[in-house]
Amino acid sequence: MTPLIEFRSITKKFGSFTAVDDVTLSVPPGELFGFLGPNGAGKTTTIKMMAGLFAPTSGQIIINGYDVVKKPIEAKMSISYVPDTPFLYDKLTGREFLYFIGGLYKMEKKAVARKIEELIAHFEIGDWIDKRTEDYSQGMRQRVTIAASLVHEPKVLIIDEPMVGLDPRSSKIVRETLRQKVRGGISIFMSTHSLPTAEELCDRIGFIKDGRLVFVGTQEQLQTYKQKYDGKFESVFLEITK
Amino acid sequence: MGTFFHILRYKFIAFIKSTFALEFVTAVRGFGSLAVFGGFAVVAYLFSLGITQYVLEQAKIGLFLYHRFISMMLFVFFVAVNMGNIIVSYATMYKSSEVGYLFTKPIPYTQIFVLKFLDNFLYSSTTMFLMAFMVLLGYGSYFGYPWYTFLGAMVFVLVPFMFLSACIAVLILMSLMKVASQWGFRKVVAALAVLYLGIVVLFFRFSNPIKLVQEVNRYFPNVDAYLKGLDTGVLSYLPNNWVADFLFFMARGEVHLAVLAAAQLLTVTLAVFLILLFVANRFYYRSWLATFEFQARANTVERGKRIKLFDFRKESLLSPQMESLLKKEYFQFFREASQWIHLVLMVVLVAVFALSVRNLNLTLRVTEVQTITYLILYAFGGFLTCSLCLRFVFPAISLEGQAFWSQLSAPLDIRKVYFAKFVLGFLTVLFLGMLVAIFTNEPFLRITERRPLLLYLGIFSAFWVSVTMVALNLGLGGYFANYQEKNPIRVASSQGATLTFLVSLVYLIVLVSVVIVPLTQYFQSLFLFFPFDMTTIVVPGTLVGILSAALAGFASAVGLRSLARDF
Repeated sequence: MTPLIEFRSITKKFGSFTAVDDVTLSVPPGELFGFLGPNGAGKTTTIKMMAGLFAPTSGQIIINGYDVVKKPIEAKMSISYVPDTPFLYDKLTGREFLYFIGGLYKMEKKAVARKIEELIAHFEIGDWIDKRTEDYSQGMRQRVTIAASLVHEPKVLIIDEPMVGLDPRSSKIVRETLRQKVRGGISIFMSTHSLPTAEELCDRIGFIKDGRLVFVGTQEQLQTYKQKYDGKFESVFLEITK
Repeated sequence: MGTFFHILRYKFIAFIKSTFALEFVTAVRGFGSLAVFGGFAVVAYLFSLGITQYVLEQAKIGLFLYHRFISMMLFVFFVAVNMGNIIVSYATMYKSSEVGYLFTKPIPYTQIFVLKFLDNFLYSSTTMFLMAFMVLLGYGSYFGYPWYTFLGAMVFVLVPFMFLSACIAVLILMSLMKVASQWGFRKVVAALAVLYLGIVVLFFRFSNPIKLVQEVNRYFPNVDAYLKGLDTGVLSYLPNNWVADFLFFMARGEVHLAVLAAAQLLTVTLAVFLILLFVANRFYYRSWLATFEFQARANTVERGKRIKLFDFRKESLLSPQMESLLKKEYFQFFREASQWIHLVLMVVLVAVFALSVRNLNLTLRVTEVQTITYLILYAFGGFLTCSLCLRFVFPAISLEGQAFWSQLSAPLDIRKVYFAKFVLGFLTVLFLGMLVAIFTNEPFLRITERRPLLLYLGIFSAFWVSVTMVALNLGLGGYFANYQEKNPIRVASSQGATLTFLVSLVYLIVLVSVVIVPLTQYFQSLFLFFPFDMTTIVVPGTLVGILSAALAGFASAVGLRSLARDF
């Protein structure tokens, strides 16, 4: 199966500092890939390269067959990105922001309107959708940002820390949504610090440390690793990333 | 008080570290700022000295009348500083996240108020201190004052004068917050605008300069005497009069009377500051909380559900991406009070300038006089365009803020973002530029017996100046973008903005230099009745077009490259 996400020896340097070092990886359709690592390991840098916010120093990122650097618009048509901090345009309402995103993905007005109503109901946003985002809590911003990522039904979802700021109910909704989307055939590349979330949701997990991919394995392979320690994912994480 | 000085110390350290950071970009910006301010300072000094010399030695209007004109200019200056402080202090004292942070600490509200008030006063007045000092230096150099007179005048007269204006601005702002919580923010702002306009109109009605000139002339040749009887009632108790009186008595060598005038100003300034502290102690924190109430009232669900003029739900003839970009720009601008109020203010000032110049009575058929008059108006029109672009176009990319990720990660050609911003800025600036060009050329239509050449030059220049200024400010605004700064006024007064302003001024100077010779020849041919060779103006005009297009192209290339940087 042709992968939807492919990293080919991706490196990112900031001056003399190497943030991402020769990472090669692929994610097929219908897989939720968990990207874990300690603080400053290079997770957000990797994700930002995928989303087109950073340019790789060398290597290629192929999304749905398109190089993110050489054919950015074609690649981004398939992508949706959810940043770790959900900054929104303060003076737009949630609804206006969703329309704004829909327009950027060249969607028809009626299709956007229909999708917005579905997403408002699904994420239980309610009347907040018609208030300006400057009054939103962190959790509400996160809900609207995740909703915005699903307006145009992407093939690839790139999420940096999806559960930050979400209450238990919203967190459950998001986890179920991600599972549903993966069953529908989309690829999800998710960075998270939450080990229980990674264990629960991810089909495969990769650990990055000091910019290098030090482990990639399925849930089964991870279980085998866990047996070597005290059966805790946390211990595996600490051992691999020490 | 210990806490107060402790905070001041760290603010000073942070300021020094950020202003004098050992980086190439910081050094370039610093040099640019120095060059701009230095240039302005020199011009202010020479202008002040020149005007004083001309008025007292050639026009011979006398000390009293000259200082009454100074008083009128100081009144305008006072009102300008006052209005500027109201707008900037709203952002500094109410919308700054630092204020919210300080309120969570065990610091008395009055100390927080004083910290932010000083922050605002120094931030918005530093340039004016420099200009005021240079004008004072030019003026005082004519009278041969020793160095300590300038220092004394600055510290004990001009700074308190501006400080008084700032105190009144903040008092008005806090009162505005109190009243707005009952009447609504927009109604109160509109009422305040009408009040200020009324004050300015009344001032110039009561201190009619033409009538004053006629009355002073009756005392000729004793026009250096203090003609107190000519001062109109309550106007003589305004602070601008005390400053003018101080300067007048210093010029006459009556130091004791000058000190008296300064003492009046200082006493009133101190009294107003104490009143301000009293009001702030009782009301600053409550007025700060009130801003959240206003925000909440403006941000109701019912309001959000209403279908607006450029609502996202409405269909559009534009492509979905362009429609999204333009509508987003519209709502982000017009829902931010500090943006639309400032724009309205600038449009009103431009309109007042254009309308007042329109009725200039130019009768002197002297080439040099008309050339200089035209060039001053031409340059001033360009300067207005420059200021407008610096305030509204330069911050355009920075104001995308951290939410810019939504556009950078979308399948959007980033040139469309740039184009949308350019078009919006260009159309606004061009409209105002054309207004100024047409109205400032009307007096010249009369003197040139309705020959339209100068009008065509004005319109042609307005077009190219608009293109170039918008491109320059957008391009360099992108290069110097600061996505963390939410305050557009702070972005527009950053070091990058100052450097951009310097480049804009150099461009305007080049423009004026290019048109000066053909303009002189044109007026010469008109007044001396010989034919005018059109190539004299076509060649420089073409040069203006080429130079403008080149600068606009270069700036746009810089701006577009900046959008491709890592975010």
